[in-house]
Amino acid sequence: MNRIVCFVTLLVACAPALAQDMPLSQILIPGENWELVGEGYKFAEGPAADKDGNVYFTDVPESKIYRVDQETGKVTVFASDTARTNGLMFGPDGLLYGCRMQDQKVVAYGPDGKVAKTIAEGVNANDLVVASDGGVYFSDPNGNKVWYVDPHGAKRVVAHGFVPNGLILWPDGGTLVATDSNAPHLWVFRVEVDGSLKYPSPWYGPVRIDAPATRPGSDGMTVDKDGRVYVATHVGLQVFDTQGRPSGTILKPQDAFLSNATFGGKGFTHLYVTCSDKIFRRRMKVEGVPFFTSAEKAQGKAK
Amino acid sequence: MLNRLWIVASIALALIFAAVSVRADEPYQLGPDSQRQDGVPQGKVTQSKFVSEKAYPGVEHDMWIYVPAQYDGTKPACVMIFQDGGGYVSEKGHSRVPIVFDNLIHKGEMPVTIGIFLNPGVLPAVIPGAKPRRNRSFEYDAMTGLYAQFLIDEVLPSVSKEYKLTDNPEDRALCGISSGGICAFTAAWERPDYFRKVLSYVGSFTNIRGGNNYPSLIRKTEAKPIRVFLQDGEHDLDNLHGHWPLSAQQMNAALLHMGYDVKFEFGVGGHNGKQGGAILPDALRWLWRDYKKE
Repeated sequence: MNRIVCFVTLLVACAPALAQDMPLSQILIPGENWELVGEGYKFAEGPAADKDGNVYFTDVPESKIYRVDQETGKVTVFASDTARTNGLMFGPDGLLYGCRMQDQKVVAYGPDGKVAKTIAEGVNANDLVVASDGGVYFSDPNGNKVWYVDPHGAKRVVAHGFVPNGLILWPDGGTLVATDSNAPHLWVFRVEVDGSLKYPSPWYGPVRIDAPATRPGSDGMTVDKDGRVYVATHVGLQVFDTQGRPSGTILKPQDAFLSNATFGGKGFTHLYVTCSDKIFRRRMKVEGVPFFTSAEKAQGKAK
Repeated sequence: MLNRLWIVASIALALIFAAVSVRADEPYQLGPDSQRQDGVPQGKVTQSKFVSEKAYPGVEHDMWIYVPAQYDGTKPACVMIFQDGGGYVSEKGHSRVPIVFDNLIHKGEMPVTIGIFLNPGVLPAVIPGAKPRRNRSFEYDAMTGLYAQFLIDEVLPSVSKEYKLTDNPEDRALCGISSGGICAFTAAWERPDYFRKVLSYVGSFTNIRGGNNYPSLIRKTEAKPIRVFLQDGEHDLDNLHGHWPLSAQQMNAALLHMGYDVKFEFGVGGHNGKQGGAILPDALRWLWRDYKKE
């Protein structure tokens, strides 16, 4: 038995020394490409998956939220008159959180598509992410701020000084990532126990910018189970590894504005992207993660 | 069951060694300058933790300081800073720097030099069960002067509180392996007013975060007063970031083209410190070769 303990110790000791490169070949399946899921939208945004892998997205100008059934692939209207709801994300309570631009609210939609909870009012929210304890972070690009609404409903600014857009949490919930529409990097923050964000760093980078663009156009993000971050940009879906290094760019499904991404489908085996008037998906080698539930597990384990 | 576990563990270990590219046929051995020699006074190594406040707020770095026996505080010492320092300071590691420094300083083949060994930073997480932020690539691969600023504004002033260090940029050297190698070069490239000697083992002059641009930047930038020793091997990495053996040759060619004081040792090894460690005494003699004349 000692020999085994010895070896396991050695394996653990060796592991951090590895380069842990994460090339695109680890995630893309040869021969697989984007397939059309739905079309005819004015501006598709905010794809988010529930714990079963059903994908919800919004047509912002039309004030509609759609649902893609994970079994049939059928797209149906989930909610109407959504006041130009933009960013969407599920919370640990199973509700669909959304940023309503028109009436300046952050709300949570129930399974019936009706507003079940109002999280914040009088705010210019663009995108959001929900932590495993129910705290909500949302971006305010016009105000150059990231806001936090704690589980008791109190809201405060937790980061400022850049143009935030997409927000995502690492699968363990300990680090928040924010895109910066104007800069060639993504910001990371340490999530404090009270929800505050500390120690900002332009840690992911460089985000690729191809001329004639002068800004990356970084928008929505998602994460996979291994911790890669996927960010929608002008040149495509840029992938970053767990050390903040670029792994590469997945090409856009069409020459149009790529706004956001999420993993979804049964087992979270597909990557979904919203690209202007359409939503696409492709099968991946790596699975996504319903990170609010996995973070819950991580926290449970630690307790 | 025990046997099966044993086999699985052995295979896993073999794969790991293959992954870090330690080739059994690499002909590099540590020489006598890398072994303890009778009658050579030994310097002292102390370990501490350095928490950055400005460049990388909150980020913790393991740090070791080597002070040679010949240092008595009357004269300022030269300084050499090692990235991924834990691997360099170990007397069982690829380079055994304290032993090599002891031997070379004793023989007068390099000046009295204080060694600073820094591991890359880690920002611990506070959410239970969450992973820390590992800062190695951000610190080492970034094409910015931030790491140089960290050394200049934070590390050197802190070490200077206890030891008398040189003010002369010619007497400050940087060393590192892989991303630590490009980090050493970048710090000198960004701040040649502070650092003028670079020693790189299997340096990552590849597109991890844009380091592949150095050969062209070097060719189209007025030459900087940096002395560079580069080591690489023909079996070094070829991956998504680039091709290490080719990029090392490009670096050497660009530095030669611009008239830099450069020495390139291109061997047969892989992505490890074997050749670099074996030739470390020679590399140090070359880097510090004209010290006595000053």
